[in-house]
Amino acid sequence: MEPSHEQLKSELILNELKKRQRTKEVVDVEEERVKVVFFTCGESQYAFYGTDIREILPSFDISWVPGLPDYLPGLINVRGDIESVIDLRYFLGEEKVNHGKHLIAMAVRGDFHSGVMIDSIEDVIDIPLSTIHPPLATLNGAARDLVIGGIEYGGKTISLLDVGKMATLITV
Amino acid sequence: MSDMDTRTLHLLLFSVGGICFGVDAGQVAEMTAYNGESDVDLFWFHEEMGYADKAVRYQSPIIATIKAGMGSQYRVVIDSMEDIAEFSQSDISPFPSMLEQFVLRRGCWGILLRQKQMIVLLDFRRLLRERSSE
Repeated sequence: MEPSHEQLKSELILNELKKRQRTKEVVDVEEERVKVVFFTCGESQYAFYGTDIREILPSFDISWVPGLPDYLPGLINVRGDIESVIDLRYFLGEEKVNHGKHLIAMAVRGDFHSGVMIDSIEDVIDIPLSTIHPPLATLNGAARDLVIGGIEYGGKTISLLDVGKMATLITV
Repeated sequence: MSDMDTRTLHLLLFSVGGICFGVDAGQVAEMTAYNGESDVDLFWFHEEMGYADKAVRYQSPIIATIKAGMGSQYRVVIDSMEDIAEFSQSDISPFPSMLEQFVLRRGCWGILLRQKQMIVLLDFRRLLRERSSE
């Protein structure tokens, strides 16, 4: 018996499923989300991309080493690995407050890795990529070199800082 | 220099202002007690290293005479000398690359972890070379 060329029901269903899947993928692309870490530094809130933060460490003793500039307060020992620490306040124009109580966010981007002094973690959430808008034109000073966008969060615009820019600022 | 020469280091350990340093014992010609002298060729470690506004109080100052090369000597007041101990090269970590450009200018070239304490390895001859090139 010659096989019929009539489309099988299973083929119809499968085609429909694939069509739906493609549509869903398009929707997913439109709604791409990113993880962000909100934190405080000095008097203000800021954010990093979650992919750039490997871990948050509790308050650490920072060992000062001769020759370091003010924005590099020293070294920490992370499970036997020696890591540098960056004091973001220097770049963000924040006052040095509460110096003894800070957390260390371990920032990693490519070959760059360093601890970053922060005061507290506010939240870690996924947000639609589309909700990140360009940085405010009114930003000035070194902060302008670090900020890659703004995020509406809790009724405020939070500056999203870029670890790559931070690395460039320090290593140049 | 053979492999044997670099596999271990005999370090003179001392602390200034709460920071522990290790210097290759081979660089030290002599250690003498500090008795309040103020010779023009006698330097204070914290001033040499740029401690700036960090408060430094010497507990038990000692004059270390460093072999500065070419037969010359360099005298510096250090503090709280501990001992001379042998360390394996494998226990030494280089500074994170981001910091090297700053710390090498002060002769600091590595970090040694001893019971969670960080010991900054210092090469006085490097410090003097950097200072003379400034």
